[in-house]
Amino acid sequence: MTSAPALKFENVSVRYPGRVPLALASVSLQARSGMITAVVGPNGSGKSSLIRALLRRVPLQQGTIRIGDRTLEAIVPREFARLAAVVPQREEPAQPLRVSEFVALGRHARRSAFGAMGVSDRRAVDAAMQRAGVQDTAHRRTDELSGGEWQRVRIARALAQETSVLVLDEPTAFLDIAHEMSVFELLDALARDGQTVLLVSHQLNLVARFASHIVLLHEGHVAASGTADDVMRGEILERVYDWPLVVTRDPAVGAPALLPLRGRGVRATSSSASTRSAPEPR
Amino acid sequence: MTDAQAAPLSSNDRVMRSVWIAAIAGVIALVLVALTAVAIGAVRISLADVMRALGGVGEPSVLAIVRDLRLPRVLLAGCVGAGLAVSGGALQGTLRNPLAEPYLLGVSGGAAVGAVLLMGLGISSASLLTFGAFAGAAVATILVTAIARVVGGSGDTRLLLMAGVVVGAFANAAILVALADAPPERLRGALWWMMGSASDATWPSVGRASIAVGVLGALLLWWARDLDVLVLGDEPAAALGVNVDSASRRMFLVASWLAAATVAAAGLIGFVGLVVPNLARALGAHRHRPMMLLSAIYGALLLIAADLLARTLRAPAELPLGAVTALIGVPFFLMRLRKLAT
Amino acid sequence: MRFRARVDRCRHLLLLLLFAACARAADTAGTADSAARPSAGSTSASANDATPADTDDFGVPLPRDARFAARVVSLNPTATEVIFAIGAQSRLVGRSRWDEYPDDVQSIVPLGDGIKPNVEAVLGVRPTLVILYATAENRAAAEALRRAGVRVIALRVDHIAQFMQLCTRLGVALNAADRAQVVADSVQRTLDRVRDAMRGVTPVPVVWPLWQSPVMVVGAGSYLDELLEIAGGRNVFHDMSAPSPPVSIEEIAKRDPAVVIASRQSAAALRASSIWSAVAAVRANRIVIDDPAITGRPSVVLGMAAVSLARALHPERAGALR
Repeated sequence: MTSAPALKFENVSVRYPGRVPLALASVSLQARSGMITAVVGPNGSGKSSLIRALLRRVPLQQGTIRIGDRTLEAIVPREFARLAAVVPQREEPAQPLRVSEFVALGRHARRSAFGAMGVSDRRAVDAAMQRAGVQDTAHRRTDELSGGEWQRVRIARALAQETSVLVLDEPTAFLDIAHEMSVFELLDALARDGQTVLLVSHQLNLVARFASHIVLLHEGHVAASGTADDVMRGEILERVYDWPLVVTRDPAVGAPALLPLRGRGVRATSSSASTRSAPEPR
Repeated sequence: MTDAQAAPLSSNDRVMRSVWIAAIAGVIALVLVALTAVAIGAVRISLADVMRALGGVGEPSVLAIVRDLRLPRVLLAGCVGAGLAVSGGALQGTLRNPLAEPYLLGVSGGAAVGAVLLMGLGISSASLLTFGAFAGAAVATILVTAIARVVGGSGDTRLLLMAGVVVGAFANAAILVALADAPPERLRGALWWMMGSASDATWPSVGRASIAVGVLGALLLWWARDLDVLVLGDEPAAALGVNVDSASRRMFLVASWLAAATVAAAGLIGFVGLVVPNLARALGAHRHRPMMLLSAIYGALLLIAADLLARTLRAPAELPLGAVTALIGVPFFLMRLRKLAT
Repeated sequence: MRFRARVDRCRHLLLLLLFAACARAADTAGTADSAARPSAGSTSASANDATPADTDDFGVPLPRDARFAARVVSLNPTATEVIFAIGAQSRLVGRSRWDEYPDDVQSIVPLGDGIKPNVEAVLGVRPTLVILYATAENRAAAEALRRAGVRVIALRVDHIAQFMQLCTRLGVALNAADRAQVVADSVQRTLDRVRDAMRGVTPVPVVWPLWQSPVMVVGAGSYLDELLEIAGGRNVFHDMSAPSPPVSIEEIAKRDPAVVIASRQSAAALRASSIWSAVAAVRANRIVIDDPAITGRPSVVLGMAAVSLARALHPERAGALR
């Protein structure tokens, strides 16, 4: 079932001040509710620029970003935080707070300058921590958390914003397999509950398994978009990542999986199928 | 579900309780130190006579000393101390740097330039010098935000910090140039003004300072929740709904003007804006509203105590207030550094 | 306008007091200066001096050759005024910009500051003799001038006895010893007359604030303290050795002077000030007006300064004094 796109980038171009090449060149992509949309690509392809443009940390040279049917310019930051929750890649280790206080910061856009935490606020915070699986860390300080806990606490904060759109920039960086999988499974569950999830990640294999729609960026352009089968093709990926690789299909999982080869590697012998025979020994 | 609800509430309560205790203890200490400061001075007046004088009863000389000399001075020191501490706390949050101090950022330099320029024109009226100092500092801080904006195109806080250091350095150079050619009495007057003192406190000057500190401090306390979010970083703050550029800019300006008001009232007094917010955080107040309120209490306490020391340590000579706060601040700061390093 | 006038009037006084303060600070830092500290009530210049009359305040022997007095630059306000008083102004080819008395001094070329003078500017008028203010900061300039072949005399006046010494030394250096003695004697006679008129009177406790921010008062290191004593007053801050120590108003209130001495403009500010009302003398408006033009410098007007102070402090006794 396709619905109207909840988050839409239309022909978005971004140039950083002082740099000549465009970080994003006429990029269009859509994220719909009820599924995970993933943006992938090599370093410098513009993935994080999308997030920065969304957060208005960098101006648009051209194009529009829409949330629902409204343009971003028409939405003040406070209202934006009620419509879309963004978990940026980087966050400064600020003063230590209790996790519950930290997650409560997600309610900032809904609280007045002076009012105490209302019932709805408390409920949202508790539900968010439950959903993200961090309710047991509520009394601990943020500087005492492990990397995995810290990531999930940040996701909890975003969930406390109670938005219908959730955008995450590399949420599983520095996480081990177990934590990585649990984050992806959380996102999957949220999507199935009706959230619009836009995910920027370099984890192609997990993205292939969980994302319904993938956009592959290359040097600021959209190199390919579509389902995992559409995008995860050897020739496309090799061109974009400039590295020899092989794409297989793991029978246990049923999604394409990417295997990078050793450098100066084997050239493709057939370009029709995305499957390949066993790699030649080097 | 109920367990999850109970746990966060009780941990919050624990934090808040320690902050409350620190606040109440601070207020009690503040009142005691203030009373002590009013009761001690070059002329020996018994505590009973001091209390009576505060109530308006007593012989004229005692009344004059207690109500026109000591009381305004103590009140001014308290007001300036609170203002400096709140300003420091807000700046540390805005610039995401626990070492930020108003004087790093062009405020003191600008204020001193304003005052010294007026002194150069022969003006020695206290209220005019106050105005000149405030105007100089206000101009300097606007210059800082303008430079940061032109150079970086956004409210990047590192740019604010660097622009502040540059403007401050320039202002210091300007003061030195202005004073190099000055007649000796202007030099002495300017140096005295810059060394920081509450000794010129009069009721009108206390009134002016209280209004400025009160209004600007209240504004910062109003915006304190935005600071809690700003401190996380530009992107997380934008994600949580804060207009980062405009919020950083207005925080910076108002916090700087608050510091400027204190410089105008009492000259250059360092360390209070640096040390007291760190103290408040060490007492458990990490969110900015409780932190700034606690800082106000302890800042007032610190400066009243420092002023008392300034006029008693080497009586009848008076030490400059800025020197005493440095003497108190430096060891405290070293202890803090050691704690951070471990 | 009024501010400017007030600053102008105070400037000369404060200039000298600050010179003296800096000089004192430099002295205690261990220089070889040997300025005398005469005891109160001395009548003769040479009697209590530590430096012999034929050296200057840096201990350098005075030049006695009249040829060296042909072209004189004086960067010392007191010396400048005395040079005019002994009638040797025709030899003056330069002064410091702070030299203001007498009025005719305006016709002499100003060459810059008296402390850390611009040696180049001074040499530019080709002097044969330069009179400096004797302070440690001027030693380098003295050396530079000597190396350039110019004779240098360093003098200063913190106390009345030093003024007498300055007259003598200038007389020697400018080969006008008799006229210099006349000037010194005339001042001394006036001082003696005042002292005699005040004999047996009960000294009036006095505080003399010189500056507001910070509050600085006359201390024992200043000639004003000596003048007060001659004029029948007692400086309540006589125990502080600096010439103009900063004190708190509360300290002044504690010492409870009977009278406050101030210039006309300062008096108005004192009466209007809420913090000064802590001093009983201010509350009772026992403020004595003084004229900084006369008391503001330890120079040829010292005698007149003593007279005016005596008349203000003891009008009944001093009425006879002129």
